[in-house]
Amino acid sequence: MMLRYLRLLAVELRISLVLGMQYRWNFVIDGLVSLLWTVLGLVPLYVAFHARPEIAGWTYATALIVVGWFSLLKGILDGAINPSLLTVVDQIRQGTLDFVLLKPADAQFLVSTAKFEPWKVLNGLAALIIFTHAFRLLGRTPSALQVLASLGLLACATLVLYSIWILVIAAAFWVVRLDNLAYLFNSVFDFARWPVTVFRGALRLVFTFVIPLGVMTTYPAEALLGTLSLRTGLLSMAGALTFALVSRAVWTRAIGRYTSASS
Amino acid sequence: MPSPLAVEVRALSKTYEVHERPPGLAAALRSVFRRTYKTVHAVTDLSFTVEPGERVGFLGPNGAGKTTTLKMLSGLLHPTSGEARVAGYVPRKREAGFLKKITLVMGQKQQLLWDLPPADTFTMNRAIYEVSDADFAETMAELNELLSLGEIMKKPTRQLSLGERMKCELAAALLHRPQVLFLDEPTIGLDVAMQLTVREFIRRYNERRGATVLLTSHYMDDVASLCPRVVVIDQGRLRYDGDLPSLVRSIRPDKRVALRFSGTADRAAIERAGKIVEFDAARAVIQVAQVDLREAVGHLLGLAWVSDLTIEDPPLEEVMRDLFSASKAAAAEEAAGA
Amino acid sequence: MSALQDLGRAARAYPTLLRVGLAEAVAYRAEMLVWMLTTTMPLVSLALWSAVAETAPVGRFTQQGFAAYFLATLLVRQLTGSWLVWELNQDIRSGMLSRRLLRPIHPLIGYSATNLAAIPLRAALIAPPAIVWLLVLEPGAFPRTPLTLITAALSIVGAWLINFFIMALIGSIAFYLESSTAIFDLWMVGFMLLSGYLVPLELFPAGLRAVAHALPFRYVLAFPVEILTGLLRDDQGDAILRELGIQWLYVIGAGSAAIAAFNTGVRRFSAFGG
Repeated sequence: MMLRYLRLLAVELRISLVLGMQYRWNFVIDGLVSLLWTVLGLVPLYVAFHARPEIAGWTYATALIVVGWFSLLKGILDGAINPSLLTVVDQIRQGTLDFVLLKPADAQFLVSTAKFEPWKVLNGLAALIIFTHAFRLLGRTPSALQVLASLGLLACATLVLYSIWILVIAAAFWVVRLDNLAYLFNSVFDFARWPVTVFRGALRLVFTFVIPLGVMTTYPAEALLGTLSLRTGLLSMAGALTFALVSRAVWTRAIGRYTSASS
Repeated sequence: MPSPLAVEVRALSKTYEVHERPPGLAAALRSVFRRTYKTVHAVTDLSFTVEPGERVGFLGPNGAGKTTTLKMLSGLLHPTSGEARVAGYVPRKREAGFLKKITLVMGQKQQLLWDLPPADTFTMNRAIYEVSDADFAETMAELNELLSLGEIMKKPTRQLSLGERMKCELAAALLHRPQVLFLDEPTIGLDVAMQLTVREFIRRYNERRGATVLLTSHYMDDVASLCPRVVVIDQGRLRYDGDLPSLVRSIRPDKRVALRFSGTADRAAIERAGKIVEFDAARAVIQVAQVDLREAVGHLLGLAWVSDLTIEDPPLEEVMRDLFSASKAAAAEEAAGA
Repeated sequence: MSALQDLGRAARAYPTLLRVGLAEAVAYRAEMLVWMLTTTMPLVSLALWSAVAETAPVGRFTQQGFAAYFLATLLVRQLTGSWLVWELNQDIRSGMLSRRLLRPIHPLIGYSATNLAAIPLRAALIAPPAIVWLLVLEPGAFPRTPLTLITAALSIVGAWLINFFIMALIGSIAFYLESSTAIFDLWMVGFMLLSGYLVPLELFPAGLRAVAHALPFRYVLAFPVEILTGLLRDDQGDAILRELGIQWLYVIGAGSAAIAAFNTGVRRFSAFGG
């Protein structure tokens, strides 16, 4: 069964690539946007941290690592999660989601693999450059264990991000017009470039538990820096898994209640 | 022991809650804070069965519940109450085995990927339905023959005409060789030639493969030429289940007689035979009750200036209109009495 | 003469268009809620930069300074926001634009009505407390004299117009490309940073600051914000008037470009049958 879904994934990827080649302008502009975003996004960080006292225990160099993870995660979000899930919102509005539900394959899988934007892989490259620069400033390199731990947390982060999106899409079954929800989500997600401990009080709680930006970028950064406690790491993984299960349950219920658009 | 019936429906019902949106600014603002909901009974207490290999046509006015029924039978909608079984499965569960046995074609929506050639959609469907290479080749050959797809499979969908798109849509829907076909207005918007092509295709596919066909259409010709059995649904309820000629006879037991004249016609003479529906210098159409037909025809043939005479059934559209207005009146009575 | 008649007709129909626009805006409650939430992002920035300035001010911005800045940003954003790009893309793709083209009023006027109609609704919740808070924080800075109030108002109107026209321009690209949301993303990247939305412009390194001052982004947000928070002082009266002039030059430029692009696009739309 795994094999079958892997084969399906390959087919969907190929189709996205072919589609991407068709709209060359979008390709180029996408690449440009990613690049600009990464570079310009460093400016607020620079203003806040450079040649200034520590903020909540973070310096310019260590904060850069958070930005690196942000860049990577944004690449995953914009390249693998957003495109397909936005397609779903469109399909719900036009009523063509029916065809997805008629197929003998898991609807959540089909919906999540409908579209990819392979150009966003560049974000990963940007992340690597940022990491290199940051560690050069720190004058050391991360250990293999730290890299491994951070990759584990990256997996958690991706899972959490994906689950949040599935919850958002499930909401689209009730409330039809949601394109601006993607915009809201991206606006909020933008704050993940900052270490979560900079936020105080209620906002920090929100960003740790409700929209866990902390899990997404700060914890992988701490793992890479070797400052993440084992307890936090394990809790994050447990939290990510729970989140994924909850979102799956909500999705299944949403499908159950789905009423397709009028014929 | 699996059920031998293709489709089995018992007391099927579907109701929706719809939020009422009255016009005007004040109402719109109010609806931000408090909403009134109205219950819509899309389908009420539907029961029927379909044998494998049958072709059944669903007739009914817009909003009657035909599409809702098809969607419940294909698993897209969960019924509010009642039971349905298709090919031995419960549609609501959407099991893989069930989904591989059915297909739903919607005339107003398409599953073909818009920016890519239909061939790419076929490839994707192949992977999803797990169709073997051998089966795929055989099915494509057959579909190609029946639909004459040719090169259009390779052009991006957005560049195809409506008719070409429909043909590819049918191919995409059938390449996994389903046993039950749900067709929701498949000929809508197509020109006459294409309508005929699609009808022919459906008939031959049904004859060759023994697939069960449930079809809804507003074009009476679709139903009349394709479906020996007709199910009439109006306002969510089953009104009739049987063959079309019997239905026509029960609603309009009259026949129509069309006359052509050579020379001046005597209107009074024609009126004696039956009720005049159309009358001009060259021809006339009158309505005659079945029982009086023989006498009327005999009388008309005796008139010297009648050069041609044909006996026809009243147009299906009119029959249907009568049926629906009758049932609307009946429903209004029920509502008034209740 | 006919252009004047068109304008007259549009002016007479405008109140109705506004009413319809408001009804459309409230028709989808969830969407309205999401828009309101989106425009409150400056409050998160406020929290963030207050934390940054806790140990030491950044430039001349203390915690209070940041609070005032981002409150003003919130206010201006509420009053000047527009989602025209999405609307246009959708109407063009679905062919719904044809309906608007049948009316004897230019479609952009209809879109502007929808935009303007929604503003009081969204701002109603957020503007009053924001204004009060601003007055409390920086009592001396908030414009008080009639002249400064008028300049502030003009700068906000100018900001809305530039934003609206740029959106119309970008949206019109959807007449030619499959969709213009990619180009809109490009604009948003520029906007988020170079309009002072994320960080006050004067904190930028010198080179970037010069770039920011040359681009129109600044006049969509930072300029009105700076007037409201007194960052552009009254005594620099000349500077304010000059900046106002530049802003309205951008308004005219963006307006002409948008109308031209839209009209040519419409011709193409009609030629290809939508």
